[in-house]
Amino acid sequence: MVAVRADTEFPDARAAYAAAPGAATVDLSVRIGSLTLHTPVMPASGCFGPELGALIPVAELGAAVTKTVFGSARGGNPVHRLTEIPAGMVNSVGIPSRGPVGYLATLHPRYAALDVPTIISVGGHRPSEYAPVVAALGENGAAFELNVSCPNLDRNGTDIGSDPAAIREVVAAVRLVTDKPIIVKLPVLVASIADCARAAEEAGADAVCVANSIPAMPLDALTRRPILGNVIGGLSGPSIKPIVLRLVWLASRAVQIPVIACGGVETADDALDYFSVGASAVQVGTASFARPFAAVEVARGLQQRCRDAEVGTIRELLELDAAL
Amino acid sequence: MRATAAAAARREAAARARAFAEADARALDGLVSVRPRQAVPRPQPVWDDAEMLVHEPAGERYRRLVLASSSIAHTALAGQFLMITVPPHAGDTILLPRPMAIHRRRPATADQPGTVELIYGVVGRGTRALAAVPVGGTLQVTGPLGRGFEFETGTRSALLIGRGVGICGVMGAAEDAQAAGIRTTMVLSGQRPEQLLGRADCAELGVRVIAVTDDDGSSDLVTLSAGLRAEFDGATPERTPPDVVMVCGAGVLARLAAELGAHWGVPVQASLEAHMACGLGYCHGCAAPVRTDASVEGPLVCADGPVFDARIPVD
Ligand SMILES: Cc1cc2nc3c(=O)[nH]c(=O)nc-3n(C[C@H](O)[C@H](O)[C@H](O)COP(=O)(O)O)c2cc1C
Repeated sequence: MVAVRADTEFPDARAAYAAAPGAATVDLSVRIGSLTLHTPVMPASGCFGPELGALIPVAELGAAVTKTVFGSARGGNPVHRLTEIPAGMVNSVGIPSRGPVGYLATLHPRYAALDVPTIISVGGHRPSEYAPVVAALGENGAAFELNVSCPNLDRNGTDIGSDPAAIREVVAAVRLVTDKPIIVKLPVLVASIADCARAAEEAGADAVCVANSIPAMPLDALTRRPILGNVIGGLSGPSIKPIVLRLVWLASRAVQIPVIACGGVETADDALDYFSVGASAVQVGTASFARPFAAVEVARGLQQRCRDAEVGTIRELLELDAAL
Repeated sequence: MRATAAAAARREAAARARAFAEADARALDGLVSVRPRQAVPRPQPVWDDAEMLVHEPAGERYRRLVLASSSIAHTALAGQFLMITVPPHAGDTILLPRPMAIHRRRPATADQPGTVELIYGVVGRGTRALAAVPVGGTLQVTGPLGRGFEFETGTRSALLIGRGVGICGVMGAAEDAQAAGIRTTMVLSGQRPEQLLGRADCAELGVRVIAVTDDDGSSDLVTLSAGLRAEFDGATPERTPPDVVMVCGAGVLARLAAELGAHWGVPVQASLEAHMACGLGYCHGCAAPVRTDASVEGPLVCADGPVFDARIPVD
């Protein structure tokens, strides 16, 4: 395990936070297929890296989630790749990737050293590209998250994840090459999130993650030119939470498998909002940039709320709230 | 006629902003590359709740921040930066931390905590919110981050060039130069004399100052370049070319420095700025303007820089 150890001669704030974990007395564990996470809180893909192992007590999270790995190496988008707008950020990083071989050689050993399960995010430019990446990753990682918010080059660039048939094709092919849990991370702009979630479930997925960032186009206030080198990017952060809450609510009613909520989670209350509409776990993305500790605080906050209410599960906590 | 004047002013500001961005991008095209392995290991970044000891205007345009963080003051290397988490202000929540160069490092003494000094301009929502944080408040900071300026052993003299708030980017190099007995000249460039940062710091560090401004035309690139060539023309021992040039503040200045470096046959290190989210490397948000194959990810300003080698491209 990578311990968060502050310099004893010149202590910093990490010491105080690492020393006060708040006993994890309530069992908040959650199952994603065959994988048990000790807490239903994990980082969002692209918003976490092994660099954080020395800054935050990663072991207090349910899992680590990698940035999306593609089959072939990709360079990423031109500058600027991100900007902040009121209540959100827009990124067009473009998912630079070194492919599965590069990932296994350079990044995976650092994830493996974190001592939480690693969920490897996998992407593709067409449905047929996912299974070979998962096969190449082999026994590495504890689960796979399929990022289907990618333009489908077989279908003129419509998002793979907006097309239930393409989702089915991706998941069925991946199911054949791995026994590990499969999470399907869905996009926001879909005709029916219920149909997309059902397609994932029927093809053998163990969970769905709702959702990715939302396509957006920020302009410079002065020049009225696109700020991002790629012109469009994905909106994330607090402003997308009500949009994603609706999607999580709809998806949860459509499938039996767990729904992992992702979008604007900053606090334990945000997580409880998602749990109240049917989510089983949450991912924390944008909030971690300003506060590397954000996801750990969400996990500790859930423990604290259950302890304060003297209940043993989040379900009971929500029932208490509902009875008000 | 006031509306017309306002519209004209707006158009002019927009044109200036576009021209600046385009000139900067052109100047940096093919200019920078990641430096070979560094000799000094990079310190482990930490995050700290740092008390704000000083927060006051600096010159006409900027604000000075002194933060107590013994850990960061003790370990930070010249040219490294911090990510500053900006507290909410007047109902506005700032989502992304702001990268800021470490201007001065002052290690802890028996009765004082170590401090880092930062200088920033109030240019947008984030810095407006930051400007409202009172002395005595705390800021969450992550750092020290990135790869800074490095002096080769045996360096005897250095030319540092800073413009605007970029002067802070190179001031750490002036601190190291003083400690190592390296004879140093620093160009302080800005729009107006009242805005120039760093005069007092240079005086304290025994650094010779060449102050240039847009007001009197001395900061003009052609004028400045000619002036510096004449300054270091070898006429006397003090006027021999510097062993290294270090620059921060604008792409066009980095290019000018690279031209001077080529002329004198000495290495040039340039510190770049970028929009960032994590500051550590995992978000991949701050691609450096380095030409790479489309299938290869280029270097990142936060993790591979912010200081790069600057060399005039040969093609
Ligand atoms: C800088 C950045 C990079 C991201 N990279 C990925 C990625 O590689 N794969 C992916 O599935 N989602 C990626 N996302 C989307 C996030 O995982 C998440 O779905 C989204 O940001 C919404 O959550 P949030 O509001 O908590 O940030 C990225 C988001 C950001 C801000």
